[in-house]
Amino acid sequence: MSPSRNDIQFFGTLSAAMTHDMKNCLAIINENAGLLADLAVKAQDKAIPVDPLKAATISEKIGKQVARADDMMKRFNRFAHSMDHDKETVDIEEAVDLVARLSERILLQDRIRLTVIPASAPCRIHASRFAVLHLIFRAFDILCRNQTDGTSDSEKPVTVQFSSDPEMPEICFIQDFRPEIKMESLFASPEDQALLARVNMNIKTMDSGAGFCLYTLPPARE
Amino acid sequence: MSEKVLLVDDEKDFLDIMSERMEARGMTVKTADSADQALKILEKESFDAIVMDFKMPGMDGIQALKNIKTQKPELQIILLTGYATVEKTVEAMKIGATDLLEKPADLEALAARIKQAKAEKMLVVEKKTEDKIKDILQRFGG
Repeated sequence: MSPSRNDIQFFGTLSAAMTHDMKNCLAIINENAGLLADLAVKAQDKAIPVDPLKAATISEKIGKQVARADDMMKRFNRFAHSMDHDKETVDIEEAVDLVARLSERILLQDRIRLTVIPASAPCRIHASRFAVLHLIFRAFDILCRNQTDGTSDSEKPVTVQFSSDPEMPEICFIQDFRPEIKMESLFASPEDQALLARVNMNIKTMDSGAGFCLYTLPPARE
Repeated sequence: MSEKVLLVDDEKDFLDIMSERMEARGMTVKTADSADQALKILEKESFDAIVMDFKMPGMDGIQALKNIKTQKPELQIILLTGYATVEKTVEAMKIGATDLLEKPADLEALAARIKQAKAEKMLVVEKKTEDKIKDILQRFGG
C-alpha cells in the first residue's frame, strides 16, 4: 500500500525529533573532544600534565553519549524497517514503547509524562507495523493537543494500558488532566478513519471522559 | 573585561562541558536548563549575550525569544539548534535573534559571535544613554 500524505508527515515528524536528539549527542561528544584538545594544548604550551582522572571522566562522558546515540539509531532503524511488510504480527506493547521513545522529545515539549503498564499477556495483532505505529502516535498527538493551557508548567500524566484478552487486543490511553476527551474529537477525520481501518481497529471513549481505547474489530468475513 | 553569558539548554551534560570550555576562554558563564528558568535569572541579572537552544521541553523557542526580547530588548541572543529550517531561522531573526548556529557548533566561532554580540549590545546601550541625555538636555537645558 502506498504511504499517504499523513504517513509521510508522521515519518518526517519522528525523524526530525530523532535527528535533533542525535545532534545533541554529537554536540556533547564534540565539546568533550574539544576539551581534550584544550588539555593537550595546555600540556604542550604550559607543561601542565593532563590529569588522568580528568581524562578518564571525559572518556566516560563520550562513551555515555555514544551509547545513547547508538540506542537512538537502533530504535530509528527498527522504525525505518516497519515498512518492510504489508502485514505481520505486531506486539502492541512493543509498538507503544517504540513510539514513546521515538517521540520522547515531542511528549516532553507538551509536558506529557507517560506511564506504560505492562500487559499481563502478549498483546498482538496482525497488521501493518508502520500503520500501528502511526495510529499510536496519533493517539499521543490527540492527548498533546487536548490541553486547555499549552503554556502551563505542570506535567500531564498519561497512562497506557493493554487489555488482558489476547483475542481482543485493546490499548487504552488514560489522562489525568482536564479537559475531558470527547468522542467527536477522536480520529474523526477521513485520514484517521482510514488509518483505523488499515489496522482493523476502532475507538471508544471511557465513561468519565478521562481517556479512550483503541480496540480490535473481528476479522472481516471474506 | 570578560563577556558575561547565559547558557540555556535542557541537556545538563552539554551545559557542564560548554560552560567549562567557555570559562577556560575567559568568559563568565551562568546556566539555565529551561527558557522559564532563564527568564527568572534575567529578572535579576544582566548579561552580554544569551546562548540558547532553540528546541527545549516547555516553552517554545520562538515564544522564549519573544519573552526575552520584551523583558530585555538590548540583549543579544545567539540560538543554538540541532536543526534549523529556513522558515524558523527567518522567524527567529525577525523577532530579534542575533545569530543562529547549528549544533555541534565550533566553540571558537561561537566565542567570536559572543564577542561581537557584546560589542553590539554596548552600542545599543550607548545609543540609549545618548538618547536619554539628549532628552534631558532638551527638556531642562533651556
